[in-house]
Amino acid sequence: MIRFLKLYERFGIFIFIFIGAVFLSFATPNFLKLDTILNIIAQGSYAALVGYGMTLAITSGGFDLSVESSMGLASVVLAILIPVAGIPLAILGGVVAATCVGVLNGLIIAKLKVNPLITTLGMATIIKGVALLITSGKMIVIKQREFLAIGTGKILGIPNPIYIMVAFFVIFYFVVYRSSFGRHVAAVGSNESAARISGVNVDAVKIGVYALVALTAGLASVMRTSQALIGMPSMASGFVLVVLTVTILGGTSLTGGRANLWGTMLASIFIAMIYYGLNLINLQIFYQMLAVGIVLMLALFIEGLRLRFLKAAKAKGIKV
Amino acid sequence: MSSTEELLRTEGLTKIFPGVVAVDNVDFDVRVGEIHALVGENGAGKSTLIKILGGVYLPDGGKILLDGREVAFSSTHQSQVSKISVIFQEFNLVPDLTIAENIFIGREPKTAFGTLIDFRRMNAKAAEILAILDMPLNVKSFVADISVAERQMVEIAKALSHESRLIVMDEPTATLTEKEVRKIFEIVRNLRARGVSIIYISHRLEEAFELADRITVMRDGRKVGTRLISETKKNDIIEMMVGKVVKDYFAPRTAGANVGEPLLEVRGYSVADGVEDISFTLYKGEILALAGVLGSGVDRLLQSLFGAIPKKGGEILFEGRSVTIEHPRDAIRLGIGYVTEDRKGAGILPAMSVLHNLTIIKLRALTFLRWLFIRDREETRQFEAIRAMLDIKISGPGQRIIYLSGGNQQKVLIGRTLIGDCKVLILLEPTRGIDVGAKAEIHRMLRELADKGLSVILTSSELPELVNLPDRCIVLYKGRMAAEFSRETMDSEKIVAAQIGQSTGGNGEPG
Repeated sequence: MIRFLKLYERFGIFIFIFIGAVFLSFATPNFLKLDTILNIIAQGSYAALVGYGMTLAITSGGFDLSVESSMGLASVVLAILIPVAGIPLAILGGVVAATCVGVLNGLIIAKLKVNPLITTLGMATIIKGVALLITSGKMIVIKQREFLAIGTGKILGIPNPIYIMVAFFVIFYFVVYRSSFGRHVAAVGSNESAARISGVNVDAVKIGVYALVALTAGLASVMRTSQALIGMPSMASGFVLVVLTVTILGGTSLTGGRANLWGTMLASIFIAMIYYGLNLINLQIFYQMLAVGIVLMLALFIEGLRLRFLKAAKAKGIKV
Repeated sequence: MSSTEELLRTEGLTKIFPGVVAVDNVDFDVRVGEIHALVGENGAGKSTLIKILGGVYLPDGGKILLDGREVAFSSTHQSQVSKISVIFQEFNLVPDLTIAENIFIGREPKTAFGTLIDFRRMNAKAAEILAILDMPLNVKSFVADISVAERQMVEIAKALSHESRLIVMDEPTATLTEKEVRKIFEIVRNLRARGVSIIYISHRLEEAFELADRITVMRDGRKVGTRLISETKKNDIIEMMVGKVVKDYFAPRTAGANVGEPLLEVRGYSVADGVEDISFTLYKGEILALAGVLGSGVDRLLQSLFGAIPKKGGEILFEGRSVTIEHPRDAIRLGIGYVTEDRKGAGILPAMSVLHNLTIIKLRALTFLRWLFIRDREETRQFEAIRAMLDIKISGPGQRIIYLSGGNQQKVLIGRTLIGDCKVLILLEPTRGIDVGAKAEIHRMLRELADKGLSVILTSSELPELVNLPDRCIVLYKGRMAAEFSRETMDSEKIVAAQIGQSTGGNGEPG
């Protein structure tokens, strides 16, 4: 059992993807075409991108429930700035706006020592309010059609979002596993007081973590806004749960200290497969929410099971 | 004193875990109304043995006889029904319930209709039990608000309320101060007088000798032997435990190794809530002990010197220059290392590997351009140097730290300060919860490091560690310096007297 769970920790998500793939290839003749697969991966790229940020947050022993609102804010700022500042500066503005939300989250969590769950939940509501206030509750249509290319374009036949997902995977891989910042994040998540007396600047680490989560949310928002050509103050309802699901399903430990970035990316693709499958059998979009909820519960259940068995193994003196 | 009437006996008791025989064919017996010390290094099989008695594990072989009748416990409940209570190191208490509720948990007295808890009767009964053992506790206090020693008392009261005939205590004094230990001893003796048998596990041999009637030594899962305390010597027991002769339990002071120039000078230093006007000088290559019981302010002083809590006044000179230490990072930068007494809570990074645990303090310096990539090869090289120097036993640098023994974890934490180019090492309770063998090794190691020029400030609640290891000992009482002892004037009785406010001066008034 222990060996199985260890294997699961490393390769579990592949099993899910494999089962999903077998199922889909029987259910639809189109599945095994390259275009379909690329499309599914592109669909999963948003959850993956924000999932990288969430992986950091959970590794640091925290949480971020405000990603949706940051995305909404970024989308609105972007749509307003495009006509006056041009596309590149507008994108920068949107991402910076989102990142500021993250810095604020980090400051409150680190300096005022408010629980991350409460902080980001409160921030989610505040920022959503701000975004709605800016646009008086309306959506902003973007007239610059060339902006469409960012989210929907392809290079060498591969959709742009996939490039972004892969590029940021590489960046985050180095941040999480190879940089001193990443090591410090894991240390804070593993034992905050021990990290502090080891000279880790715990406050700076936390602020950095929440800024990075918000940065990924801002980038995801740019892509989505580009696809819709609309600035939406309340964007991506329910998305935060998807992001949490892929992070936990991917194997990042909820107890902090151990990240699994591969898992996050692959779990995003798995969720996209579920969405695709549900679409195929013409189920309503509400079923997608149902599915995400069930997968999240399942992921938490498996995580709980894993921790229990590891604890039991430790009690029996088995080296894991 | 104890009778020779037998309460419990095990015959050929065996427990096998994958790859290891944890308890190997053990014949062990406990008499009615005796205190039976159980000692042995970590991994000797003591914990497994008592877990079998407590119904946590089923034995793979052998039998347990209670009053001459064979019994088998497949759950803690069954063992409790047979009047055996095991008090584990991790207490089985609910912090958010009161003392009385904890004592009667699961069998609370009910009101007339049997539906509601009769709090008045429960509190009265709990108070009665506490009074029997002369425990100064309020039954309505929440367990979350009481000290570790008091929790221990609650566990004992709980065992007594089950009318237990055998109480097993697993290192009850590991985290207690001398004074609290006295109280627990008193209670344990009181239990014996009432005819209760006690199995007493301890790493502190002195305690076993003071308290117990008989002592059993285990090693590698086997019973080495049982002796009457009155007919045996400490050195014999240590020999039985380690299996080889340990001539000197403590690191000998290096003859003639003179201490160098002043490294850290503390002038008129005070910390809020209980540290006033402390002045001392730490020399290069010196081991200085700061002694004091709970409330003496030693812990707060040391935490403040490391920058973990703010100072109220005074000055610190490091290598002759006046320095400000407001944060652990400032201290680390200067070359001050700190090893906590709370290894689990504030020392190790449990989710991480040994390698990452050790190098965390120096990560920035090991990172290319400080922010980019960690230079793995350099990291591993420096880690390996420290690992070899401290002889840390691991299966590989990637092994998770929680799977190391206490002694090896402590070495990793000391190694963490050393890799950070530490010149002054602050050590709180350097060998708490560590077995005898590893203890001696750490003492030897500290002496070697000091001979190489490292300065050490340590504090300990174990008297021998205060008397035998350091070059100098300063005693704090109620936040002020009470006495100072040099190697020549070091005397355990005087140190204890100074700690409890009966200062006889040591070298005269400290300066």
